[in-house]
Formats: sequence, structure tokens, C-alpha cells
Amino acid sequence: MSSIDLQHVNLDYPLVGMGSRSLKSRLLGTATGGLISPGDAVPVVKALRNVTFSLSKGDRLGLVGHNGAGKSTLLKVLAGIYQPTAGAVTTTGRIVSTLNISLGMEPEATGLENIVIRGLLMGMRRSEINAKIEEIASFTELGDYLSMPVRIYSSGMATRLAFATVTAMDSDILLMDEVIGTGDASFMDKAEKRLNEFLNRSKIIVIASHSDHVIKKFCNRAILLEHGQVVHAGTPDDVIENYHSRSVSNVGA
Amino acid sequence: MNSKFPRSNDFIEAINAYELWSFLAWQDIKIKYRRSKIGPMWITISMAVFCIALGIVYSQLFKTEIRELLPFLAIGLVVWGFLSSALGEMPNLFVDNAPYIRDMRINPLTIIFRALGRNVIVFGHNLLIVLGIYLVFGIWPGWVGLLALPGFLLVVLNMLAIAIPLSIVGARFRDLSQITQSVLQVVFFITPIFWFPRLLEKGSWMIAINPAAYFIDLVRSPLLGHLPALLSWGVSLLTLLLSSLIAASVYRSKSMMVAFWV
Repeated sequence: MSSIDLQHVNLDYPLVGMGSRSLKSRLLGTATGGLISPGDAVPVVKALRNVTFSLSKGDRLGLVGHNGAGKSTLLKVLAGIYQPTAGAVTTTGRIVSTLNISLGMEPEATGLENIVIRGLLMGMRRSEINAKIEEIASFTELGDYLSMPVRIYSSGMATRLAFATVTAMDSDILLMDEVIGTGDASFMDKAEKRLNEFLNRSKIIVIASHSDHVIKKFCNRAILLEHGQVVHAGTPDDVIENYHSRSVSNVGA
Repeated sequence: MNSKFPRSNDFIEAINAYELWSFLAWQDIKIKYRRSKIGPMWITISMAVFCIALGIVYSQLFKTEIRELLPFLAIGLVVWGFLSSALGEMPNLFVDNAPYIRDMRINPLTIIFRALGRNVIVFGHNLLIVLGIYLVFGIWPGWVGLLALPGFLLVVLNMLAIAIPLSIVGARFRDLSQITQSVLQVVFFITPIFWFPRLLEKGSWMIAINPAAYFIDLVRSPLLGHLPALLSWGVSLLTLLLSSLIAASVYRSKSMMVAFWV
């Protein structure tokens, strides 16, 4: 079973600045009876407002919207990184998030060790990883480099390793911030084939993207986010058209 | 797998993820060995040198036999090394692990388990100092020495319970790290590590209110071949209970905020 259900999700993102970072000044302020002025309150950004939708097997949802509209925040809520301030999120199934695949590598560990670490972090058992590691290693075509620390890899090599590892996972729910790729010309076809297999294995996909092409190609549903609110939902074509017409009218106004 | 908020079963989940944190803890040690041939032994060596230097100076200051002071001091210092390095790194722990926390759903407790696990392995290395002391001074604790195991376990559980609120609050207030370092420094001097508790008048409050004194006694006494004070068990169990309650309440209310703070 795999499903996602969001009910009236609100998320206030606290902006903790340097001024409010000191425990000492906080404690001293209290001890001397200093009133904490309203200026000291941590400001919040209303990142998501009243977001409600549910997804079930076979749904491929595209998130459309400007920078800062709440696409990535919504993905992080779905991934369980952020807890909503109000509302309920219920997910069933193993979630794999590829929000930033090149982060979270241990630079001093070897390529092979990083495959294991990444797999464990994504909730795989050691036995499961051992069954896949050979296939991942051969896909990367990194050969002897795999037993060297990732610190010495070029960024292209590191991306290749991360890509190969992530796409080897079996996920029920796949969350992607922009479509992952390797950016390596000779590698592109191979990578695209692997990516497609990966996407087909996932039962539910949520992709945030700025590319109309990506949304139309991979998704069968889409929502348009603006200032943290869902302003339009429907088929990818419909939503993208709505998005562009809004942008034009905004420019006009 | 059903994931619902708030995370009420994180503790059990973290224990189940033992493959993850034990692998990462060993990985940290392996990397230390890769960087230099003797790896974490550098800590052991510097600690051994520190022990010998302090032992020589203080045995003359206190006019005690070095064969009496040095074993006491060395074992105390090894245990203290575990306490202070484990607690010292907690306030910055989540900030240091920010890339993981910001980009995937990771159970914060597994990060704490990894750090504690790494410190336990380093402690294991430092036990070589204790072994050296046994050889040089011809001491053997006998069966009582085995009591150090449950004692150490109780100390580790205490560390875990203190680490949880310390790491969460440390993610929010960045100066907690410096505050912790200063507190640890003071505690080092007021804890009977390089001086004997008998040097203070009986029932001195200085030791009585210091949990570190009890933690160290739990491990040091058995390793020196005598029983730890019953009071040490009592107090350590009590601090465990208290700090667990604090840990549970801080974790419940604030652990979900860590992703916003780091």
C-alpha cells in the first residue's frame, strides 16, 4: 500500500536569526527582569497555507510555481523533514527523497562505503544493500575510484555515484526536487534509461520543477502553488497554462 | 511502514536502525585510522602522557605514593575523557549533521547514537592505558573488575539522556557549545580525578552534588579492584531517571524543530 494524504496543512517556517541565537543573552535577559520585546520574537514565514490533497498508487504529481512558492517546502513536509504547524499528513509506504542528491556524502569515506551509507540512511537493511552494491558499482563505471575517498572525486563523478545509488532504491513514494541527472553527455542515455526504470518502479511520484517539459513528460496531475497556497489543480497541461496566464497577467498589472 | 506525526516511536526505531549508526560510528574510527596509521590512538597517547605528567606532579604535591595515585588518576581520566568528549560534541551535533537533517527524513536519535558509539569505541582504545597501568604496577582487579561493565552501561545511558536535550537546545542556541565547554572544564577540577576524595572533609557537598563523581566511581572502583559505593549506583540511577524525563519532554516538544534550526 502506498498513499499520501494531506489535510489542511499549514507550515510556519521560523526564521532564527543570529540575534536570537544566544542562550546566554536569553537567560541574562530573564534574570535581570528585562522584558523580551516583541522585536525579539522569532519571525515566521507562512510557507504553506491550507494545502489539501491525496495521492494513491499511479499518481504522478507535478508541483508548479515560482521560486519561493512553497514547492520544496511541500516536498520536505511530504518527506517528513518538516512537521506541519497545523493539519495532518499521513503517508504509507517507503519514501525516497532526492531533494539534493549530492549532499550527505561522507567526503573521507570511499565510493563503496558511501553507497552503503546512503542505502542505510534511506532505510535499507545491510543485506538489501549488499545485494545491489555490485550493480550500482558497475553502473557508475568508476572502477578503481570506488575504493578511493569521495573527497578526490570530480563533481561529475560524485553526482554519478549519488545518482546510481539513489536510483537503485525501491521506493513506494518518490519525491524529487527537479529531475535528477548526471549532466555527463556520454552517460546521458544510460542514465535516462535508468531514471525511467526507477520512476516506473515507484508507485507515487511527486516532482517539483520549473520545466514545463518535465512536468508534462513525467506527471499525470499537477498543482500550482503561489505564496504557499494551492491556487490551481488539474492536468499538467491545464495547470501549466494557468501558471503562464497568471504570470502574464501579473506582469500586466 | 506507516509514518505519522509526531514521532512517538523514534527511540525504538533508532534502536532498530543499529546497522546505520554502528556502521557510521565504525566508519568514523576507520577514517581516523586512514588519516594516520595509529588513528584514534593519538588521543590515547596524549591522554597517557597527561596521566604520567599529572601523576608525577600531584603525587609530590599531595605527598602520596605514585603507585597509589597514578592508577586512580589514569582510570579516572579515561572515564572522564569519555564523559567530556561525548558531552562536549553534543551541542554542535545537529549543526554538524545539517546536510542530512535538511535533506532527508532522519531520526535525530540515530545521529546521537552514532556520536555516542564513536565515543565508546575511542574509550575502548583508551582502556589500553588501564591495561598498561595493570602491567606496570602489577595490579589485577579480579572478579570485581567485571562490575565495571554494568557501571559503564549505566554511565552511557546517563550520557544518552543528557545528550538528547543538550543536542536539541544546542541546535537552537549556538552558544550552548561554549557554555558546555566551560562547565565541563570546571567539573573536571571539582571531580575527584587527580585528587583523592579523602582529601576533602567527610561529607563535603562538593562531591555530593556532582554527578560526574558518581559516574566515575561506578567504573573506576571496580577497575581498581574494589566495589563502587552503593550511593554511586543510587545517584546514577536517579540522575538517569531525571534526565530521561527531561529528555523525553524536550524531545517530544522540540525535536521536530531541529530541521528548521540547523
